Formats: sequence, C-alpha cells, structure tokens
Amino acid sequence: MIRLEPGTVAAIVLDRPNQRNALTPAMLRAIPELADEAVAQGARAIVLRGEGRIFCAGFDLKGCVEDPRMMRDLLLALAEAIRALRQCPVPSVVACHGAAIAGGCALLGGADVVVANADAKLGYPVVRLGVSPAVSGPYLRQSIGDGPARARMLDTEIITGRRANELGLVHEVVGNVEEVGMRAMQIAQELADKPQSALAATRGWLTEIAGPGKPESERALAVSLELVGSSEERERLEAIWGASDG
Amino acid sequence: MAMPELATLSTDGPIAQLRLNRPDSRNALSIELIQALRDRVAELRGNSDITVVVLTGQGPSFCAGMDLKQVQAGGDTPEMLLRSLAEFTLELRALEAVVLASVNGAAIGGGCGLACICDVAITHADAKLGFPEVDLGLCPAVVAPWVVKRIGAGRARALLLRGGLISGRDAADIALVDQCADTRDAFESLTESTARRLAEGGPQALRATKSLLNEIDGSNDAELLLRGAALSASVIAGEEAQTALRARFGDR
Repeated sequence: MIRLEPGTVAAIVLDRPNQRNALTPAMLRAIPELADEAVAQGARAIVLRGEGRIFCAGFDLKGCVEDPRMMRDLLLALAEAIRALRQCPVPSVVACHGAAIAGGCALLGGADVVVANADAKLGYPVVRLGVSPAVSGPYLRQSIGDGPARARMLDTEIITGRRANELGLVHEVVGNVEEVGMRAMQIAQELADKPQSALAATRGWLTEIAGPGKPESERALAVSLELVGSSEERERLEAIWGASDG
Repeated sequence: MAMPELATLSTDGPIAQLRLNRPDSRNALSIELIQALRDRVAELRGNSDITVVVLTGQGPSFCAGMDLKQVQAGGDTPEMLLRSLAEFTLELRALEAVVLASVNGAAIGGGCGLACICDVAITHADAKLGFPEVDLGLCPAVVAPWVVKRIGAGRARALLLRGGLISGRDAADIALVDQCADTRDAFESLTESTARRLAEGGPQALRATKSLLNEIDGSNDAELLLRGAALSASVIAGEEAQTALRARFGDR
C-alpha cells in the first residue's frame, strides 16, 4: 500500500489508488522507515506522492468504523510521519495532485516544498466527523499564519490548489494534475543538486527559529487523541461511513 | 580628497533618505558599508523630527548582498562581517521612525534581508529579489529570522531552501514586498507617494505601534541573531562552502 522508489531523488508513493490512497496506520508508519531507507541508499531529496490521480483522501475511515482503536493509531502515526519528514536529513517535496484531504492534507506539514495542480482539492473537513485536526495546527499556522489556519481547521470548506497557493499552503501550482508529479521531481532534483551542508544547516536553523517546537506538537496531538472514541466521533463516523459499502 | 560616503543621509521635512552608496559593487555589504549604515542609523536614532526613513540603493541595484570578497577572506573577517550585519539588522529594526524599503533593483541575499527588516517594502517588476545563499554553499542564518517574520515560516522555508531569485511581481505575491510597480517610472512615484502617505501618520502613534510590533514579534532578540551569525560563519568556514565559492568566483 506504500512503496519506495529509490534514487538520488527518492519517491515515497502512497499506493492504494482504488481507495484514493486512504491512509492506514501501517502506511503512515512506513513513511519514517522508507525515508530512512531512502537516505541510507543515498537519497538527497524525497518526493511524497500518490499512485493514481489523487494524492490522498485522508484516513481510512471505513477501517475506523470497524476498528475503534484505529483512529488513535492513525493520529499517532500521522504525527510521527510529519515529524520524521521534518527531521529527515534531506528535504522533501509533496506532490499534491488531485486532492489532499484531512490526514492527506496534514502530511503537507512535513514538506519543505508543496506543488499542487490549480484545481486540486485541499482541506481538513474532519470536525464534522467529531475528529479534531489539531495535530495539523502547529504546522498549518506556520505555513499560512494564525488567522487563515483557524479558518481552515474549524471550517470544513475545501479550497483549490490555487487558493492554497495564495494562502501559502502550496508553494507552486501547475495547470494539469498530470504535471504535478513531474514538477515535484524537478524541484526535488534542484534541491538534491544544492550544497548539502548549507541546505541542512538552513533547514535546521529554520526549525530552530520558527518551530514548531516539541511541546506545541505534543500538545496538539494530545488534543486530537483526547477526542478519540468519543460518542460524538463514533456516532458521526458510523452515520457517514458505517452504511456505505466501501 | 575625501572618500565618498558609503551610506548617505538626506532629509526633506519628516522624510529622510538613507542610501547605500557603493554602486560600483552593486551596494554589496562590506564591513565598511555596514559601519557607515550603522553610523547613519545612529544619527537618526532619537531624532523625533523624522517620521519616515526611505532605504534605497544608489545606481541600478538595491543591494547585491554580502561582499563576497570579505566572505571569502578567511580568518576572522567573515564572522566580523556577519556579526556587524546582525547588529545592524537589530538597530535598523529598532529605529523609531517607520522605514520604507524602496527596492530600486536587485535585492539579493543579505540585501533582500534588509528589505525584510523594513516596515514597508516596495519594488518594481524588473527587480530581482531572493536568497541564493544555499546555491553558494552558504547559510542565510542572520536574515532567516527576518524573512520568517516577513512572509511566515512555511514560505520562508521554501524560498530559502530553493535559493535563486524571483521577480518583483512574484515577490509581491508572496508578500516579500508589499507592492510592485509595473515600471521604473511608476516605481519612482510609488516611492514618493508611499513615503508621503506614511508621513501623514501621527508620529507618536506610529512610534508606539512600531515599538509594540517589535516587542511582540521578537524583533529585539539579539542573542538569536548573534547565534545566526556564528552559524553562518561556521558554514562559510566549511569545505563545502569554500569549494562552492572557489568554483564560482575563483581563488582569492
């Protein structure tokens, strides 16, 4: 459901296209492992993309209905995946093609650069499921500022890649969904060709001066975790996802 | 014959103009130029007759960044250069008057950093701005905190890591500058009208507001800036930067 394409520019590919790359705990746990493996094999930059037209539709909510413990595992693994991309010794680029929804959009927080198509759909419409997107908060306020971050997390509205670019959540837009992966690889190649010590020092310094720091990230995760298994969450997940045939 | 001043100051009512005056070197920031700027800023400090300071460059460039001869000089020179830049950025930010960056041409690396420190920044469509430090094996650690304050941490990350230069128009799109004039002529009048509008504010209200903003956004954190200078100097001293600089500019 997830695979590594090694190389100087390595690609971590969410590979579950029939479920719009909906994330399972195992897929998220594989992200730090594959990033380590890529670096061990000599990668100087990493691209994260999805197989098929859609980058990622979010958590596997059908799985969450069936297994009440899964939401907790997903949130823990998501926070760790974002952290791992940030802490990874080489930079990463997310190819946000088609859509990055909820947990999929949260993954953008780990990236140094995000590319999307102009019509891509982005957002965190999870409060309607009784789930808090708090885990994304520390990263989102960094990329788009406190005011817009508040709106994006409390409002279930989905925005376009173009709007996300205006806000700063996406750093470059391309016209067609087919071009996103290619453009992400080009940008990653440019990063891979840069002097590595200078790049690493600059990445580390930016994290040091701007965060998010560990206490803020841990607090945000704790808020998302506190709601797991609430009757609000169970009722809403069941109502929206329990009846569907998946 | 007296050497020309490396930084000049002129005043017109409540508006002062602080000009980088090293056009033969595209106003590159040498230790001497930074000292001249610090001297001029010291003259402005506490002068309650001045409400607005327009920072601009003599000649076609705003500021080409750090003087790469001094960056490559070895010994204590790079660290002295970076420390004096760090101290100057703090002093410029702390100036009571509102500072308008009139980015008249290329604003590169530390030069683009200067624009970020100013309260308001404007440029024109033909200007090139950006931070190519990483391309040269350098780390823009002194200017990074100012870039983060100006455009936010996420955009700063993408901009500083990708290096290169962007157009004045793209700079306005990511709020690296507040406004971009279409032509140089329009830029001249934009500078004038913006400075005049800023000078319409009540001097006391402007000062109080600027001082509050500096307080809440951490603009007075000297310790952070000096750590940035030390980090930047240590990256310069490394083999990678030395090799990249030699490849680009030859042996010194």
